[in-house]
Amino acid sequence: MSGPVSMSDTRTSTIPAGTSAGERRGRTRRAAGPARPKRIRSRQLATALLYLSPALLAIVFLRLAPAVSAVVASFQESGLTGGSGWAGLENYRFLFGDPGFVNTIVVTVLFNLVVNPATVVLSLGLALLLSQRLPAAGLWRALVFAPAAVPVAVSGVIWSVVYQPDGLANGLLTALGLPEQPFLTSAGQAPPSVMVTVLWVAVGYWMIFLIAGLQDIPRTYYEAAQIDGASAWQRFRYVTLPLLRRPLAFVLVANTVGNFLIFAPIQILTNGGPEGATNLIMYDIYQQAYRIGDVNLAQAEVVLLMLVMLVVVGVQFRLLGSKEGR
Amino acid sequence: MNVHEGTVRRPAATRRAGRLAVAGVAVIALAACGGGTEAGGGDGEDDGGTVTLQFIHPEVAGSFDPLIEAYEASHPGVRIEATNVPFDQLQSTLQSRLSQGDSSIDVYTVDPSRIPGIVAREQLLDISDLMDQAEEATIPSSLEPNVVDGKLWSLPIWTSEQYLYYNPTLLEQAGITPPSKDPAQRWTWEQVVEAARQAQAAGAEHGLLIEQINRYYQLQPLAESLGGGPGLSGDDLLTPDLTNDGWVRAMTWFRDIHESGVAPRGIAPDQMGPLFAAGKAAFYVGGPWVIPGWKAENAAFGIAPHPYFADGEPATPTDSWSWGISPHSEHVEEAKEFLEWAALTTEGSLATIEKIFIPPTNAEAFDEYMGRLDASVPGVTEGAGDLMLHELENTAVHRPPSLGYIQFEEMMVNVFEDIRNGSDPEERLSKAEEELESAFSRLR
Repeated sequence: MSGPVSMSDTRTSTIPAGTSAGERRGRTRRAAGPARPKRIRSRQLATALLYLSPALLAIVFLRLAPAVSAVVASFQESGLTGGSGWAGLENYRFLFGDPGFVNTIVVTVLFNLVVNPATVVLSLGLALLLSQRLPAAGLWRALVFAPAAVPVAVSGVIWSVVYQPDGLANGLLTALGLPEQPFLTSAGQAPPSVMVTVLWVAVGYWMIFLIAGLQDIPRTYYEAAQIDGASAWQRFRYVTLPLLRRPLAFVLVANTVGNFLIFAPIQILTNGGPEGATNLIMYDIYQQAYRIGDVNLAQAEVVLLMLVMLVVVGVQFRLLGSKEGR
Repeated sequence: MNVHEGTVRRPAATRRAGRLAVAGVAVIALAACGGGTEAGGGDGEDDGGTVTLQFIHPEVAGSFDPLIEAYEASHPGVRIEATNVPFDQLQSTLQSRLSQGDSSIDVYTVDPSRIPGIVAREQLLDISDLMDQAEEATIPSSLEPNVVDGKLWSLPIWTSEQYLYYNPTLLEQAGITPPSKDPAQRWTWEQVVEAARQAQAAGAEHGLLIEQINRYYQLQPLAESLGGGPGLSGDDLLTPDLTNDGWVRAMTWFRDIHESGVAPRGIAPDQMGPLFAAGKAAFYVGGPWVIPGWKAENAAFGIAPHPYFADGEPATPTDSWSWGISPHSEHVEEAKEFLEWAALTTEGSLATIEKIFIPPTNAEAFDEYMGRLDASVPGVTEGAGDLMLHELENTAVHRPPSLGYIQFEEMMVNVFEDIRNGSDPEERLSKAEEELESAFSRLR
C-alpha cells in the first residue's frame, strides 16, 4: 500500500527507525567494509543450493548423465556380436564411411535448411496478420494454433490419410482436373510432403510467441514513425524487426532444436524412404538402436547430433545477438 | 530481522520453503531408490506363492486367452500375463527391453530367421535340454531354424504356407476360368498378371494384392523361383548377393506390376486382406489365417497354389513364430514348462490356434489342423490341407539363418518399398548391396 510521501520518507539514511545500535553498527560495517563474513556467505550458498537442488538433480540425472552415458557408450564395441570392450573411435570411423549415414546427414541438413526459415517466416507472417484488427481475430488465431494442440503422432496419422494414393489430397487434385501425385512414394515429393506436415504443426505454435512479442512493442514507436512519414515496410523494418529480435531468436533456436529431433512424422509417413530421402537423423538413431540393436552406433550418432546442435544453436545465438550488443 | 555476528536467522516463510526443498530432494532421492524396489517387487511372485509369467506376442489382444485359461487350469501355481505389441513395434520393443536386462519378460515370440542375431546379442536362453522332445513332437524341418551352433534356443509354435486366392465373381465377370488347386497345374506369375489385367478391364479395382507386400518373408520366393537364391551368400551368409539375374528379374517384375497398376502402390500390408474381402481385387497372395475372417464376412474366394515364374521353379514362403525364454527371466523353470506345454503337447499346441487359424508345428496338432482347414469353408477349402502339406514338403524356402539377418530384413523392407514405388531395380539392389556390405562389416 502506498501512501502520501512524508518527510520521514525523504531521509537519506537506509537504517530504519527502531533499529538497535548493534544492528546499525553491523550494517554500517557492511556498507563500508569489504564483504560479508565467510560463514554467512556459505550458509546463504547452502540455502540457495538447497532451493536449486531439485532442478539441479533433474538436470544431472535426466540431462547430463544420459549425455555422458551416450558419450561413453559411443566409444565402446558394438554389442551385435556380444562384444562390450573399448572401441575407441571405431563407431565414428564406421559412421563417416557408411554411405547410409552420410545420406542421413545430407538429408537432415537440407531438411533443416528449408524447414526452419520457412517456419519462422510463416509464423511471423501469420503473427503480423493476426495482430491486426481483423474481424474474429481470436477465432483465426485459435484455428491456426489448433494443430499444435494435437499430438504430433496424431498429426502424422491425419496427414498419412491425406497423402494416401486415394486420399484427400489426390481427391482434391482430381476434382480440379489435375493429375494425382505420389506424395509419399516419390523421392522428390516425400521431403516437401513431410515438411508440410511439420509446418502445419509448428507454425501456429510459434506464431503465438511472436504475437506476444509484437504486443510488447509500444504503440508509441509506431506512432512516432508514422509522424516521421515512415512507410509500412519501413515501420516493419526499423521498428518491428529490431524490437522482435528476442522472440525471433527464441523461436528460431527452439524450432531448430525441435526440427533436428523430428521422429514421429517420419515413422508414420515414410519410414525414412523413399530411397532414404526422408531418413532424418533421429529416425536413423531409432533404427540403429531399436530395430537393428546396435546401441553403441546409435549413441555415436546421438553424440554427433548433440555436437551439431550445439554448433547450430551457438551460431544462431551469435548472429541474432551481435547487433543487439552494438 | 536480527543480524548478529556470523548468524543469519531466516524468516519463517524462508524456513518453510527450505524444508519443502529438502522434502523435494528427499522425494526425488526416494523415487530413485524406489525404482529399484519396484523392479525388485516385480519378481512375478504373488503373496500366495503364485508365479506370474510375462509373455510378449504380436497377435491381437485376447488371441491366447484359450491357451492361458487351459494352462492355468492345469497349472494352479502359475499365472500367464500376455501382452500384445503390434507387429511393427515388436522387434524394437523387445530389443529395447531385453538389451537393458529387463527381467519382466519371461517368454516372447521370436522370428526364427532372427535367432542367430538374437543369440549373438545374448537375448535368448539355451533350452537344449528340450531338444530330444522337440525333435519327436514337431513336424520335420520346423525345428531347424531354432538351432544355432548345435544348441536349441526356441521352440517352433507355428509354421506357414501361402496360397493364391482368387475372387470367383470377378474372374467370372472377366470370363476367366479359375486356377486349379492341383499343384501340377500351378499358375505362373505371368498367367496371374494376365488374368488380373483382364479382371481389371472387366471392372475389378485391383488386379493382384500381395499380403505382406514389403516383407522379405513374402517376397523372397520371387527371387528364389528365378534361381536368385536368398540374397545372401557365403558360408556365413554375410555376403550380399542381390544383383544376380534372378533377383534383378524378380524385382523388375515386382516393379512392373505396380507401375502398370496391376498391384496398387501406397497400401499397407494390413489393408490388403480387408480390400480383397470387400471384393476389390481379383487375386490375393497370402496365408491361411485370413480364411476365418473372410468366412465371417461372406467374402467370395477360391484357393489355388502359390504361383511361380514360367522359366523358374515353384518356391513358397514358410516358417512362423517360435517362442523363446529371456535369459533375464527369474522364472526359468516355469517358463520352460509353459513353453514345452504350448509347443510340444497336442493339447497346448491346439490351444495356440484356437483363435488364430495357422498351422501348428506340433505333429499331432498339425494333423488336426489339416482337417479343420479342409472343413473350414465348405465348397472352397476342401483339399487346402493336402495342398499345404505338398508345399511344405516340396516348395517351401526357409529364410537364411544369417547373423546379419536382422540388418538384412530391416534394409529389404526399404528396398521393396522403393522398387514398388518405381526405383530402378538394378540400381536399388546394387545400392542395397553396398549398404549391406557396410552394415555386415560390423559383424565380422
